[in-house]
Amino acid sequence: MEPFRATLSLLLCYSLLSPSSVAEAQTAARASSAQPSVRQPYQPGQLRGDERILHALNRFTFGPRPGDLDTVRAMGIDKWFARQLHPETIDNTGLEARLAQFPAMQWSTRDLLYRLPSNAVLRQAAQGKAPIPEAGALHAIYVNEIARYEDRQKQKEQKKQQESKLASGQTMASSDREDGLNSQSAPRPVRNAQTDSNESNIAPSPSTTPDPQPFNEADTARIVALAPPQRVATLATMPQADFDSFQKSLKGPQRAALLVGLNPAQKEVVAALKGPQRVVSEELAAERLTRDIDSNAQLQEVMTDFWLNHFNVYLHKNDETPYYLVSYERDVIRPRALGKFEDLLEATAHSPAMMLYLDNSSSIGPDSPAAEKAKIAAARRPDAKKTAPQGLNENYARELMELHTLGVNGGYTQADVTQVARVLTGWTVDQPQRGGDFKFDESRHEPGAKKVLGKKIKEHGEQEGRELLHMLATRPATARFISKKLAIRFVADDPPQALIDRMAKSYLAHDGDIAEVLQTLFHSPESWSHDTYRAKVKTPIEFIASAIRASGANIDNMQPLVNALRDMGMPVYGAVPPTGYKWDASNWVSTGALVNRMNFALNFAANRLPGVSSAFTAPSQSTFTVEDGSGPRSAAPATATTGNLPTPEAEELRLESELVAGGISVPTRSAVLDQFHQQSLTVQIQLPPRTMQASVNPVQAAKNLEKQDQLLAGLLLGSPEFQRR
Amino acid sequence: MQTNRRFFLRNGALAVAGTTAIPSFLIRSVLAEASPAPGQRLVIIFQRGAADGLNLVVPYREKNYYAMRPGIAIPENKVIDLDGSFGLHPSLSPFKLLFDQLHLAIIHAAGSPDMSRSHFDAQDFMESGTPGLKSTEDGWLNRALQSEDLHHRQEHTTFRALAMGSQVPRTLAGKIPAIALSSVNSFAVGGRGPAPSPAANAFQAMYGESGDHLFHATGEETFEAVKMLRDANPAQYKPAPGIEYPNNEFGNNMKQIAQLLKSNLGVEAAFTDVGGWDTHQNQGGVDGQLSDRLREFSSAIFAFWQDMGDSSENITLVTMSEFGRTARQNGTGGTDHGHANVMFVLGGHVNGGKVYGRWPGLANEQLNEGRDLAVTTDFRQVLGEAVSKTIGARNLDAVFPNAQLRPDRFLRIL
Repeated sequence: MEPFRATLSLLLCYSLLSPSSVAEAQTAARASSAQPSVRQPYQPGQLRGDERILHALNRFTFGPRPGDLDTVRAMGIDKWFARQLHPETIDNTGLEARLAQFPAMQWSTRDLLYRLPSNAVLRQAAQGKAPIPEAGALHAIYVNEIARYEDRQKQKEQKKQQESKLASGQTMASSDREDGLNSQSAPRPVRNAQTDSNESNIAPSPSTTPDPQPFNEADTARIVALAPPQRVATLATMPQADFDSFQKSLKGPQRAALLVGLNPAQKEVVAALKGPQRVVSEELAAERLTRDIDSNAQLQEVMTDFWLNHFNVYLHKNDETPYYLVSYERDVIRPRALGKFEDLLEATAHSPAMMLYLDNSSSIGPDSPAAEKAKIAAARRPDAKKTAPQGLNENYARELMELHTLGVNGGYTQADVTQVARVLTGWTVDQPQRGGDFKFDESRHEPGAKKVLGKKIKEHGEQEGRELLHMLATRPATARFISKKLAIRFVADDPPQALIDRMAKSYLAHDGDIAEVLQTLFHSPESWSHDTYRAKVKTPIEFIASAIRASGANIDNMQPLVNALRDMGMPVYGAVPPTGYKWDASNWVSTGALVNRMNFALNFAANRLPGVSSAFTAPSQSTFTVEDGSGPRSAAPATATTGNLPTPEAEELRLESELVAGGISVPTRSAVLDQFHQQSLTVQIQLPPRTMQASVNPVQAAKNLEKQDQLLAGLLLGSPEFQRR
Repeated sequence: MQTNRRFFLRNGALAVAGTTAIPSFLIRSVLAEASPAPGQRLVIIFQRGAADGLNLVVPYREKNYYAMRPGIAIPENKVIDLDGSFGLHPSLSPFKLLFDQLHLAIIHAAGSPDMSRSHFDAQDFMESGTPGLKSTEDGWLNRALQSEDLHHRQEHTTFRALAMGSQVPRTLAGKIPAIALSSVNSFAVGGRGPAPSPAANAFQAMYGESGDHLFHATGEETFEAVKMLRDANPAQYKPAPGIEYPNNEFGNNMKQIAQLLKSNLGVEAAFTDVGGWDTHQNQGGVDGQLSDRLREFSSAIFAFWQDMGDSSENITLVTMSEFGRTARQNGTGGTDHGHANVMFVLGGHVNGGKVYGRWPGLANEQLNEGRDLAVTTDFRQVLGEAVSKTIGARNLDAVFPNAQLRPDRFLRIL
C-alpha cells in the first residue's frame, strides 16, 4: 500500500502546484525537444503554442486523434490549415479502403433504384409496368420484396375489414385510411414495424409454401458453413418465406457467421434480400460517419457536414430521397464544400434531392401551357381523385432566400417570394421514381418578365433562374448571412461582429470563395481569443465522432453510432424542417442529452456497442507477466509504483492525455479517481493485496486492468471537458 | 433564490425520498406535498410545420372556402358539425366526443400579430411569446412558472417543467430548469439498477464539482431527475386496458407524459411537439396525408385524456402551431404558408363545447393580405388565460410583455 499512497500524494502535490491541464504539462516537457516550426508572435489574450494547435484541431476537424498534435506541431499550424483547404493534396488511402465496404454508394441514382428497388419501383414491377430482373440475386431481391409487400397489403386489408366491422357498431364517425407505400413527411415510427411474415399465399414465387416449417438447426448451420459464393447463391434461390424463416432461425453468433468471408458486394446482396431500401439508408449514414471519423481531409468533411445542414434535405421526405441523397452528398455538396458559394447554390438548385424536398419539382407557372392543360383536364373530370398540379408552390422560393442565401432579414417581401417561385417554375425532375435527373420543363415555366428585389428579370426560360441565383449569391446580405453562420460553427455561439464583417468583405472581394472566407476566419484574432477556447459545446455528431477519433476505435458496424445519434436528437439526414440542425449550445445541453452522452461514453468504452471495439489498455500492459524479469515489461509510466500493475492514477494520466485534448480540470480528475478508489477497495477484497500481485493470475490481472481502464475512459469521455471543443 | 430552494429540496425532502430504507408510500407522500396545492397541470402541444387550421375546423358555411379549395375542401356532408357554422375534419372524430362532453374548447382565427411566414421565425416568436422581438432569451412557459413563484411560495420539484425529447424547447427555456427526457425507460446513467452505479456516482461528483457553469447546472438537474425517476418508477403506470396510443413518436410522448403525471413527480407544465404539418403538396381532403396526421393526432390526445381518468379533472391541454396555411389551395394540391390558425383547449375546467373567437370571414376582401385567414385572437390571449387559471401565473406583463393582456378581456375559456 505504501508506494501506492506515495504516488497519490505525489499526484496531489502536482495537482496543487499546477492546476493547469495535464496535456499542457506534458507538452511543456516535450517543447524543449521539439520546437514549433512556426512561432506565433505574442499577442495578449491570444491562444499560443499547443493550445492553439489543439484549438484548431477541435474547431476544424471532428476532434484530434492521438498523434495529431505532434503532426501539426511538426508541420506548422498555418501549413496544416492551408493543406486542409486543398483536400486533393491529402493522402486518404486509409479512408478509401474503408469506403470500399459500401459499393452501392458509388452507383448512380438510377442504378440504385434499379438494383435496390424502392417501393414505387417494386409496385410498378408487380403491376408489370417495370421489368423484374430475370435471374440471379437481383431477381430474388425483387421477388422477395414484392411478396412481402403483398403480404402487408393483405394484412392491412384484413385489419381494415375488422375496423369497419367495429366502427359500424359505433356512432363515432370514422373514415377509411388510404393505404400506400409512400407517406410524405410522416412522423418517424417508434419502432420499425415488423414486416416479416410467414404466411404468403400470393407470392409470385412458385415454390412458396403457405406455412413453411421453421428452419431446423442442422439446415441453418449447413447454410452458414457454405463457401461464400454458394452461401449467397443458396440464399438468393430460397423462396421469400423460407428466406425470412431462415433469417429468424439464426441465433446470435450465427448472424455474424453468415457474413464471414463475404466480400462487400456479397454482403450487400444478403442485406438486400432482407430489404433493399434499408441497404441504401443504412449505407448512406454509415458512409457519412466513416468519412467524418476516418478522413484525413477533415476540413472537407466538416464543411460537407456544414453545407448538408445548410442545404438540408430530409431523409424521409419521400421514398426516393435516400437514393437521391447518395448523389447529393457525393456529387453536389462534397466536391464544392470548399469552392465557390455560387457553384454550390447552383448545384443544389439543380439537384433532384432539393427540388423534390422543397417541392419545386411540382411547381407550375399559373399561366404556363402545362397549367392550361391541367385545368382543362380537371374541368373534364371534376371528380378525379388526384388532379395534376396547376400552379405555384412557394416552398423552395421562400427557403432559398430565407435559409440558403439572404437570411430572414435579408430584405425580401412576400411579393419577392411569389416572384422567385415564378422564376423557378419548370425547374423539376425527370422521372423521379426512376432516379431521373434535373430537368427544365419549358411547358411549366411561367411566361413574362418577373421582378425580384426591385430588379427586372426578362423572360428567358431556365436562364432566369440562373440570373436569380447569381443575384442572390452576390448580395451583401448573403455574404453576411453565410459569414455569420460559419463564424458560429467555427468560433463562437455569438461571434464578434468585427469578425463577421471581415469575413463578409472577403466573401464579396473573392466572388464568394469559401476557402478565402475560411482563410480570413483562420487569420482573424477573434478566432484565437482565450474566450473561445473550449467555448463551443459539441453537437452530438461532434461528440460521437471526436470520442471515436480520440480512442482510435475499430468499427465494423456503424449502426450503433447511427442509433446513438438518433437518440441524441441528431439523426443523420434526419432534420425534418429546412432549417437543419442548430449549432449553438442551448440546443444540445439538457438533462436528456447528458444522460445519453454519459451512457454512450460508458457503453462505448466498455465495448458494449456491437461491432465497435477499442482498446484503452496499452498493448504492452495487457501482455504483462509476473514480475520475474523474464516477461516483457511495460515501459509506460504506468508501472512506476509496483513495477507491475499500473495504478488508476497513472492510467488516468495516460488516458487523459490520449483522449481529452487539453486535459481535464482538477475537480474532474479527483471525481474520477475518488470513485475509483472506492471501487478498487471492493475489488481488492476479492484479490490478494497489491504487494502480492506478482502471484496473481496474469490473465485475471490483465482483465482487471482492462476493466479499470474502460471505466476510466468512459468517465473521461463523459466528462464536462469532453463535451466542449 | 432558485438555487437555494433547489438546494433545500435536494437536501431536505428528496434526500429523505432517496433513502432506500424509507418505505415507498412515504416517499410518495413527500413528493406529493411538493407538487402545487391545487395540482393544476398544463400540457402544451406544438404542431410544428404550420397545421392547416381551415381543414381542421372547417368553416363549412363559407362559400368561398369551397371555391378556394376545390381539390382539398372537406365536403359539408363529411364534416362533423359542431355548432352549425364549423365542423371537424372527419379524422378528428375523437374530438367530437370531448367537445360534446364540454371538455374541449376551440379558438378559431387565432394567431400571432407578427406577419412572418418563416417557420423558424414564427415558431421562435410563438415560443418566446414575444412576436416580432428577436432578443427575448427565454420562453413564455418558463416565464409563467417564474411568475407563479411570485404568488405561491411553495416548493417545486425538478420535474416541475418537463419536455419530451432530447432537447429543451424554446417554450421552456429560461431561469427555471426544465427536464428534457425522450424515454422514461432509458433515463438512467450506467444501468437501471435499484441503486446508482459507481460510474453514475463518479459522474455525479464530477458534474457537481465542475466549474463549467452550464454543465454543472445541467448535471445537477440530471442526477436529481434520474434519482426521482428511479424512486417513482413511472413504468409501473401502464395505460388502462382498452386505451391505445398510436405507435409513433407523438403517441409515445403522450403516453409517457401520462405516466409521469401519474407518478406524482411534481410536474406542473409539460411540453411535447408533433411534426408533419407542412403540407405544401398533395395534402388530401377527407383522406390523404393531412387526414392521416389528424387521425394520429386526435387519437393520441384522446387516449391521453382517457388514460388520465379522474386526474384529467386537473389537466389543461393547449395546442398551437406557428401559423395557418393559405386559404386557397396552391398549384400542387397543398397549401402554402398563411396566417391565422385554430387552437384546441382541452381540460377538466374548460368551458368547452364552444367555438370561441370572432370569425373574420373568408370572402376575398376579408382575407389577410388577400390570401390567408385573418387573426382575430392573439394566441397570447389564450395562453395568458391558461397560465393564469392553471399554474397561477398572474403577472401577465412579465409572461407576455407588450401584449397588454387583461383578465377582464379573457375569452373565458376556463
